[in-house]
Amino acid sequence: MMKISRIKLKILLMLFILALPGFISAEIPKSSGFVTDLSGVINSSDKEMIEAAATEVRDKTGAEIAVLTVKTIEPYGSIEEFALDTASQWGIGEKGKDNGVLIVVSTGERKLRIEVGYGLEGAIPDGLAGSIMDDYMVPYLRSNDYSSGLKTGFIAVASLVAKEYNIEIEGSSYRESLQSMQTGRNSSGSSGGGMSILFIIFILFISGGRLFWPLIFLSSMSGRRGYGGGFGSSFGGGGGFSGGFGGGGFGGGGASRGF
Amino acid sequence: MNKKVLYILVPVLVLLLIAGSLFSWYINTRNQLVYLEENIDASWAEVDNQLQRRSDLIPNIVSTVKGFASQEKEVFTNIANARAKLAGASTVSEKAEGANQLEGALSRLLVVVENYPQLKSDQNFIRLQDELAGTENRLAVARKRYNDGVKIFNAKIRMIPASIIAGNMGLEKKPYFEVSETAKELPKVDFGS
Repeated sequence: MMKISRIKLKILLMLFILALPGFISAEIPKSSGFVTDLSGVINSSDKEMIEAAATEVRDKTGAEIAVLTVKTIEPYGSIEEFALDTASQWGIGEKGKDNGVLIVVSTGERKLRIEVGYGLEGAIPDGLAGSIMDDYMVPYLRSNDYSSGLKTGFIAVASLVAKEYNIEIEGSSYRESLQSMQTGRNSSGSSGGGMSILFIIFILFISGGRLFWPLIFLSSMSGRRGYGGGFGSSFGGGGGFSGGFGGGGFGGGGASRGF
Repeated sequence: MNKKVLYILVPVLVLLLIAGSLFSWYINTRNQLVYLEENIDASWAEVDNQLQRRSDLIPNIVSTVKGFASQEKEVFTNIANARAKLAGASTVSEKAEGANQLEGALSRLLVVVENYPQLKSDQNFIRLQDELAGTENRLAVARKRYNDGVKIFNAKIRMIPASIIAGNMGLEKKPYFEVSETAKELPKVDFGS
């Protein structure tokens, strides 16, 4: 008799402990990889591009860039608190290095934030995060083109991370998007302080010993097979998203916008 | 015979068990208190860091605003005074007071800015404002983490039985970083639309 009740007590206690974190994090959405599109606004080719490029960045540098769309941030009162809690709970970035970025859009409140982990605050200072949103995201989001806004915003962030770690992102779909972003920018001729950054990075990419675009294409095409359609991957160091995020910390760096 | 051994062995074992668990409880609690205090010191360092960062940002912002709105002298004086006060503060409560005063002065500056559309659309100013907003946000986070740490620590050192050990170690309650009511009402700068 005694034994049974003790076991029961233990089970109850365990259930309680197990239920506790679930209870606390009720408002925080569950991540489904580098792209968590709970509003269902990102088209599949953009999603694949972001996932492939984010995986490549993670494999090469350890830094993690995640994209999240939600319908509402409730019960949170501000996107700052929501983004901080989500990014910290997911643990985007490496533990100890805190090199994670979360790009979050709430389609209900029409708010946008780039949350930057401690380790990347040098590469993406708040002012730069703000101008990335002004130049590459807000114009699209205003006309409800969430997919394009998140794509170009992601590319801007990813190229800054790549520059910080001195790597090149070779995924072909990423390259194509970067290129079309550049030509689109030039033809539309819109101005902005932040735009020069991408242009410089773009020039660096081109002049970085790789003068022939066809060659880049070929080399990245062969690289693409490694991704095997986004996930799974024969890439070294884990590949895919099976392991979850690395456990990076956040301190409230970044910037926010309404749109 | 067998029973006799048991009579002696059981109490001895029980006593040993109690002594052992008491000892490990003592070590654990002591270590935990040390950890909690260290944690508070670390989060205070972060608060201090962000306060400093904001103070460093202010000259840039003020000089940019002056370029467009040089006649708003009172606002600039208030900011300079608050900044000087914060720089001279050393204790937690002095710093909290200085920080709150500076926050009030800054919020008035941001209200003034509303009257200058040219300034509001200045690229340089937008960046600075992002940096300022980011620092305010970091400060809020650091302040919350510090206060959370203080809350746990203060509760722990006053609750029996840990309070006995805390008393032995000479640990005292830590002060909270209070936010004034005016600072809480700081107008949020909305960049959208």
